[in-house]
Amino acid sequence: MSTSTIIRFENVTKQYDNDAAVLDNVSFEMERGKFYTLLGPSGCGKTTILRLISGLVEASHGKIYINDKLVNDVPANKRQVNTVFQDYALFPHLNVFENVAFGLRVKKLKNADIQKKVQEALRFVNLEAYENREISEMSGGQRQRVAIARAIVNEPEVLLLDEPLSALDLKLRTEMQYELRELQRRLGITFVFVTHDQEEALAMSDEIFVINKGKIQQRGVPTDIYDEPINRFVADFIGESNIIQGKMLRDFVVQFDGKEFECVDQGFNPNESVEVVIRPEDLEITTKEKGHLKVKVDSQLFRGVHYEICGYDENGNEWIVHSTKKAVVGEEIGLYFEPEAIHVMRLGETEEEFDARLEAYDDQGVENGN
Amino acid sequence: MELNNNGQERIKKAALLSIIPGLGQFYNKQPFKGVVFLAIFFVFIIQMATFGIEAMTGLFTLGVTPGQDHSLFMLIEGSLQLLILAIFLILYAINIYDAKRVATLASIGIKTNKSFIDIMKNVYQNGFSYLLALPAYAAMIFAIVFPVLVTVLTAFTNYDFYHIPPANLVDWVGFDTFKDIFFLSSYRDSFMAVLSWTVIWTFAATTLQIVIGVFTAVVLNQKFIKGRRFFGIIFLLPWAVPAFITIMSFSNMFNDSIGAINTQVIPLLNHLPFIDIDAISWKTDPFWTKIAIIMIQGWLGFPFIYVLVSGILQSIPEDLYEAAKIDGANAIQRFRTITMPAIFAIATPIFVTQYTGNFNNFSMIYLFNEGGPGSVGAGAGSTDILISWIYKLTTGTSPQYNVAAAVTIMISIIVIGISLLVFKKTKAFEMED
Ligand SMILES: Nc1ncnc2c1ncn2[C@@H]1O[C@H](COP(=O)(O)OP(=O)(O)OP(=O)(O)O)[C@@H](O)[C@H]1O
Ligand SMILES: [Mg+2]
Repeated sequence: MSTSTIIRFENVTKQYDNDAAVLDNVSFEMERGKFYTLLGPSGCGKTTILRLISGLVEASHGKIYINDKLVNDVPANKRQVNTVFQDYALFPHLNVFENVAFGLRVKKLKNADIQKKVQEALRFVNLEAYENREISEMSGGQRQRVAIARAIVNEPEVLLLDEPLSALDLKLRTEMQYELRELQRRLGITFVFVTHDQEEALAMSDEIFVINKGKIQQRGVPTDIYDEPINRFVADFIGESNIIQGKMLRDFVVQFDGKEFECVDQGFNPNESVEVVIRPEDLEITTKEKGHLKVKVDSQLFRGVHYEICGYDENGNEWIVHSTKKAVVGEEIGLYFEPEAIHVMRLGETEEEFDARLEAYDDQGVENGN
Repeated sequence: MELNNNGQERIKKAALLSIIPGLGQFYNKQPFKGVVFLAIFFVFIIQMATFGIEAMTGLFTLGVTPGQDHSLFMLIEGSLQLLILAIFLILYAINIYDAKRVATLASIGIKTNKSFIDIMKNVYQNGFSYLLALPAYAAMIFAIVFPVLVTVLTAFTNYDFYHIPPANLVDWVGFDTFKDIFFLSSYRDSFMAVLSWTVIWTFAATTLQIVIGVFTAVVLNQKFIKGRRFFGIIFLLPWAVPAFITIMSFSNMFNDSIGAINTQVIPLLNHLPFIDIDAISWKTDPFWTKIAIIMIQGWLGFPFIYVLVSGILQSIPEDLYEAAKIDGANAIQRFRTITMPAIFAIATPIFVTQYTGNFNNFSMIYLFNEGGPGSVGAGAGSTDILISWIYKLTTGTSPQYNVAAAVTIMISIIVIGISLLVFKKTKAFEMED
C-alpha cells in the first residue's frame, strides 16, 4: 500500500440474504487520480462494487478503506465519493440549476456559494447556458452532463460512473468517451467507470479490472490485458480471439493444430497442456504454400474497417481473421503469423501466479540483455 | 392587397344584400348557397310567426291570468325559443360573413365555387370535421345548455311554494333572490352557516382522506414491512363495498342509544386505564355529527388515494433516493424533494376532483343523518352542505325553487372556478412523456 492509494478492498465478500456470494473475497487497490474501469458481463458484480464504495450497501465480510480510513461503518454522505447513475437519477421537478445545487442545499451552504459552485460545475460540463432549463427539455447527452455536474459539484475525491453511456447513441457515446476522459484529467480525481463494452474500456482506462462471477479475473493496463489475457474468459471477453488447445513442448516452442510453432513464451513445464490465443488481426492471409495453416473460407462479413473472415482448418478448428483484403468463400487460403502473435495461457492459473511468471522472465530478459 | 374601387363596391353590395339571407349569395353567383340561406330564413320566419313570438312574449311576461297561464311552461318554452333565436343569429352572421368573403375573393380574382358539385366538394374537403361534429353540438345545446339556461332563469324568478303554477303566476324578480340570500338576515344566516360548513367539511374530509391515503401508501411501500400485500388487500375493502351501504351501516353504528359505538366500543375502551368516556350524542349534537361524518368519509375515501399513490410510488426510480442519500438528504428531505413532488405532479388533478366531489357529496351527508340534527333556518339542517340543502329546498313541503336555482349557480361557479384554476396551475409543472 502506498500513500497514493485511495480505495482499498481487503477480502471483501458480499452476499444478499443467504444466496451465493455476489462478490467473492475480492481484494484490490485503486490509486488517486486514475481512471479505472470495471469490465464484465451482466450480473458479474460491477454495480455491487460501486455500491460498496459509495456506501449504499454494506460488505458481508472484509474491509473497505478510503484514504486509509476504514469506512465499513461510514454512511454514504460522509464518504468523499459521488455517483453518476445509469439513468441519471435527476429530479424531474427541479430545473438544471436546482438539480446541481441539491447536495449543496442539503448541506445548507450560503446562497452566494451555491451560485458560484453550481456555475463552475456547469461550466466544467459545458452547460453554462442551461441553468434555467427544465430536465424534460434536455437531450439525453445533456442530462448525462447534468448528472455529472451534480456529482462533481460536491467535490468528491472519487467519482463512480455506472454505465453512464449505455443510454446514448453510438456517435454521442464516442463523443462523451472523450469528454469524460478529458474531464477526469482536468479534475484530477479518481474515476471508477463501469461498462460491459470492452472497446469503451480499452479506449478510456488507465487500468481495467476484468470481472466474472464476482471475482476479479485480471487487472492491468489496457494493452497488457489485450495482449496477454490470463485465461480463456478474458481473452474471449476482451476483443475477439482464436483460442485453441495446445501443448508447450519446451520454452519458445508450442504445438497446436498438429504442428510445432516458434513462440516467445516460457516458464512452462515440458509438454504442459495449454491454451493458445491468436488475435484475428494478427493473422495474415497468404497463399496455401506460404501459410502456417491451411484454412477453407466458410463465410465473410464486411465490417467497415476490415473483413471478418471465418474458416476451418483440416482438423476442424475455427479461425477468425480480420483483414483488409477480401477472400473468396469456399477457397482454401494460407494463414501466416509471427511468433509474437502467439499468446500461450496456462490452464487455471491465478492472477498472482500469472504475474509472478511474467515477472520472472522479465527479469531473465534483463539478465540476458546484460 | 390592394382592392380597386370596383371591388370595394362589390363587397359592400354583397354584404348589404345579404341582410336578407341568400341575396348576397345570389349576387355572388352562388345560387345553391343562396337558396339554402333563403330557405333557412323562411323557416325561421314561419317558426317565429307560429310559435316564436308567442313563446318570447310568454317568457317576457310569464303569464298574465292566474289559473290559465302556466308560468313554468312559458319559462321552458321561452328558453327553448331563446336557443332557436341564438342559433338563427349565428347562421345569420355566417350568411353575411360568407357573402363578404366570397365577394372579396372574387374581386381579387380568385375563382369561387359556382356549381352545386363544387360547393359540395368544398364542404366535404374543408368542412367535413364540422359536419361530423354538428350532431354532437346540437345534442349538447339541448341536453346541457337548455337545462342550465332554465335553471339560471329560474334563479331570477319568485318560483317558490307561494307561486306554484298554474294556480299562481311566477314573476321575474331580478336579483332579489340573490339579494335575499346575501343580505336578508334570515336567509343570509342560513346560507352562511351552510356555506361555511360546506367549506369546512370539504377541506377536513378530503384532506383527511388524502393524508390517510398517502400515509398508508408511503408506509406500505417501505421494503422492510412484512405482509405488505395483505395490508394492501385489506385497504381495498372500503372501496369494494358500495358507499351508500357503508354509510347506512355506519349511521346505525353511530345511533345514540342503540348503536355499536356507544353500547360496545366506548364501554370497551373504558376498561383501559385512565380512559373514561361517556356515551357521545353522535346523532343529536351537531358537533359530534360533524366529527363522525368527517371520520367516516376519511375512512371511505382513503383507499382510492392509497391505490393511486401506491402506483405512483412504485414508479419513482430507486436511483433518485440513492442520489439524494449520497448528497446527505435525510428521510424527511427525501420525502419532501422526491416523493411529494412526484405524487403531486401526477395526482393533483385527481386530488382536486376529490375536493369537488366532497363539496357535492350528497350521499354522505344525507344518508348519515339527513343533514341533521337541528336546523340553521331556511330548511337547512346543521350538517347540510349546499347540495343537500338544494335537495331540501326543492323536495320539501315548502319548496323554494328560486333559492335552489340561485344556490346551484353559486355552487357551479365555485366548482368550475376552482377546477379551472388548479388545472391551469398544474399545467405549469406538467411533466414530460
Ligand atoms: N438487492 C439485491 N438482492 C439480491 N440480489 C442482488 C441484489 N442486487 C444485486 N443482486 C445480484 O447480485 C449480482 C450482481 O449484481 P450487479 O448489479 O453487481 O451486477 P452488474 O455487474 O452491475 O450487472 P449489469 O451489467 O447487468 O448491471 C446479480 O446476480 C444480482 O442478481
Ligand atoms: Mg450494473
